[in-house]
Amino acid sequence: MPASENNLVIKNLSKCFNVNNEEVTVLQNINLDIKEGEFISIVGHSGCGKSTLLKIIAGLVDFDVGLVTLGGKELKKPGTERGMVFQEHRLLPWLTVKDNVSFGLYNLTKTEKEKIIADHIDLVGLKGFENAYPHQLSGGMAQRAAIARSLATRPKVLLLDEPFGALDALTRIQMQKEILKIWEKEKTTMILVTHDIDEAIFLGDRIVVMSSRPCTIKEIISVQLSRPRDRSSHDFGSIRKKIFIEFFKEEENLLEYYL
Amino acid sequence: MENQPLKDRKKLLSKSAVSNKKKSNTSFKFWDNILCYGILPILIIVLWETVTRLEITPPAILPSLEAVYKAFISQINNGEMISDVTISLTRVLKGYSYAVILGLSFGSLMGISLRANKIFSSVFNAIRQIPPLAWIPLIILWFGIGEVSKVVIIAKGAFFPILLNTINGIKNTPKGYLEVAELHNISKFDLFRKVYFPSSLPSVFVGLRLGLGVAWAMVVAAEIISSSSGLGYRINDSRALMQSDVMISNMVVIGFIGSIMDLIIRNIANHFSKWQTS
Repeated sequence: MPASENNLVIKNLSKCFNVNNEEVTVLQNINLDIKEGEFISIVGHSGCGKSTLLKIIAGLVDFDVGLVTLGGKELKKPGTERGMVFQEHRLLPWLTVKDNVSFGLYNLTKTEKEKIIADHIDLVGLKGFENAYPHQLSGGMAQRAAIARSLATRPKVLLLDEPFGALDALTRIQMQKEILKIWEKEKTTMILVTHDIDEAIFLGDRIVVMSSRPCTIKEIISVQLSRPRDRSSHDFGSIRKKIFIEFFKEEENLLEYYL
Repeated sequence: MENQPLKDRKKLLSKSAVSNKKKSNTSFKFWDNILCYGILPILIIVLWETVTRLEITPPAILPSLEAVYKAFISQINNGEMISDVTISLTRVLKGYSYAVILGLSFGSLMGISLRANKIFSSVFNAIRQIPPLAWIPLIILWFGIGEVSKVVIIAKGAFFPILLNTINGIKNTPKGYLEVAELHNISKFDLFRKVYFPSSLPSVFVGLRLGLGVAWAMVVAAEIISSSSGLGYRINDSRALMQSDVMISNMVVIGFIGSIMDLIIRNIANHFSKWQTS
């Protein structure tokens, strides 16, 4: 595969946090090579540094050791080539959907802006709700608006931190299909953090399984199934089993330690 | 509803009675509201009238409602009331405007910048701990007994509630929004205009309302101490002349104007806080 312009490369990344005057290693020796246009799922227990990893890539959190590059350029501060969607929609409640989506748009003529806003609202299926306020939207709709906002700046990489965690199970499945559609249309590199194993397998080209404290990459599982994936198929089930074993194997180890 | 006879209950529950029930519910609410809001004021008025009619206290201590009303009318007729209200209101608005401009500016600055907060907070806290009334003699010494000293007193009093509530409002901007703003690399000006400022508005309005209340309190205090005009002066002057009816009529006017101004601010606040659901 030819070397792509915009690969996201993480080398030897480590991060410590200072908690109650104790150094807690949250990420240790993370090495990841993500090709342009890939969909990566990251799974791990709650509380290990998955979200921290995303925030480091986004530039919101700094790190101690290592290197993060996009297309060869080192990433330190936030930039419009990376977008992020959080578990809460974080739409500004005093702005309409339209104004929220256009939040980060600068240096554009009025017509250009209008077009981008309209395109992205259409992309997430919120046509007709341009002038609605966030408190008038359901959870799923608000999250769609947040996705539209993050994509409006045309990022090369979209980071999703448990984006559907706050939604009910049915809406979650609907949104997973939606994000797949968006990905197939926009071809943005997507990095999704989730603790829903099915979601990770359904969406990702590769699944990065992370261990608990300290957070290192245990395994990277490649999902070769064609999309749309059948959750009840045999192949899907065997990958699911593989990941389950990874997690419960770890738990067994913990039990032995405490015994 | 439990005590009503069975056939009446059945009637109330039947579909055709639903709309009637709704109508009687709203009119019940209406009269209930009138009763609740009105009962205490009515009782006070009744008590007042009784005490004065039975001449339990001398009229100089508690004038009758009629006397207060007559004093009010005569002050309007000889132009005193209008000029007193205008003078006091002007002073309040002047001092309050300064307090609002300074309070919002310093409040925003100290809310956003930790460094600015550290620089200004110790001095502001020290000034704030000394009660406004204790400042009055010094202010009069520095600024004389004219208009300037009164405006300074009012501004100083109204400044602190506005300052503190603005700082509080800005500091309580949810971190999530600030992260989103950081991600989108928005300009510093937009950061204030689109994130910090709207988020702080509810707290800011609390500060504005409190500040207005203090401004009114200060104008009366300042006028009682050193003035030859205004509502506060009139209250003090009538006290010296044992004209308690004039005194009380002026107090009622002060209370009334203060309530109107507070109502105006509350309505403006509600208009700007429409996006708040909680």
